[in-house]
Amino acid sequence: MTIKPVPDTASTLPYMLALDFSAISMTDDELVQFCTDNGPLRFEMTAKRELIIMPPEGMETGSNNATILQRLANWTEQDGTGIAFGPSAGFTLPNGSMKAADACWILRERWNALSQDEKRRFSHITPDFVVELRSESDLLGHLLEKMEEYIENGVRLGWLIDPRQRRVYIYRPGEAVEVLDDPAAVSGDPELPGFTLDLLEIWG
Amino acid sequence: MTIKPIPGTASTLPYMLALDFSAISMTDDEFVTFCCNNGDLRFEMTANRELIIMPPAHSDTAWKEGRLFLQVANWADIDGTGLAFSASAGFSFPNGSMKAPDACWILRERWNALEQAEQARFAPICPDFVIELRSRTDSLVYVQEKMDEYIENGVRLGLLVDPAQQRVHVYRPGETVTILDHPDAVSCDPELSGFKLDLRDIWRPVGS
Repeated sequence: MTIKPVPDTASTLPYMLALDFSAISMTDDELVQFCTDNGPLRFEMTAKRELIIMPPEGMETGSNNATILQRLANWTEQDGTGIAFGPSAGFTLPNGSMKAADACWILRERWNALSQDEKRRFSHITPDFVVELRSESDLLGHLLEKMEEYIENGVRLGWLIDPRQRRVYIYRPGEAVEVLDDPAAVSGDPELPGFTLDLLEIWG
Repeated sequence: MTIKPIPGTASTLPYMLALDFSAISMTDDEFVTFCCNNGDLRFEMTANRELIIMPPAHSDTAWKEGRLFLQVANWADIDGTGLAFSASAGFSFPNGSMKAPDACWILRERWNALEQAEQARFAPICPDFVIELRSRTDSLVYVQEKMDEYIENGVRLGLLVDPAQQRVHVYRPGETVTILDHPDAVSCDPELSGFKLDLRDIWRPVGS
């Protein structure tokens, strides 16, 4: 006999779940395969080897994510110096954690320095720019800590967009976090020259 | 920096969650430590290497679970031929799965044949008798399949207690499942000689 996958579990997982994985030694390839095998769920691994299991997002968050990625990808094509990635791209930070930002961007020359094999896994590379969009199920404190971790691991510019509070938190290494209240747009200069994200469509 | 354990995750997990673990090679010891490290949650592993993650039991279900275990344990003390285990005991079954029945009983001579180290982990032994109490969030089919699996792996008597339908499903190897409607008690003879499981507390709301 087989136990069937328990119906609807992915859609009924209301918040993220953290599992201590420190006891289990696991290769990078095993983690990639594990994430693939459990497709409807999204995963991250913290530096302390906690597996974070995230439920699928609500449609509104999904739509906002798509808008942000579309704007970033359009700018990326015109600019030409980098590559944009969506939320399905997992990357491994220097502290050993594996993360997937809602959108991120990496300088082309840094990306091309990776081996072909490395590019196909949760690549060992820190994005130059990350965007996190707070969803209905995200705790703000968790995201603020995540942004700090990005910066400590080499991200040059990070945006945390919180539609619930209509706020954007801007992170840069060595600088205090800048908080914008109800901004109409946010600029990526100078790290992403000329990139401006219109936020009116996100605030809705 | 550290990401703190996310508050409320264990208690807000409404249903069980199944994760395909087939890609991860893991020793028995690693699995035991993994389960200990995530003490708020309860785990089982299926024969197809799916990790089942269960939220803590609802208070009233947990009380009923305790009432069932208590009766088995009290009878086992008097009878003396075996040992009773509560829901936190995990066992490794012949088909490679790890399960934690809500209450179970194992003949003493079979238990004593295990090595000390095996007894201290998810012991590789199939209980002689198991009870599963269907919780509010368990689908009946899921628990029925689990009972079939118990019997296929060597359980000699299995009771599926279903408060929602006020029924007990009785499983024995080689026999069709007997379903009892709202019984006051179920006799567990001959496997547990003289043991009658009283169910009146199970059918009532807790505390009434």
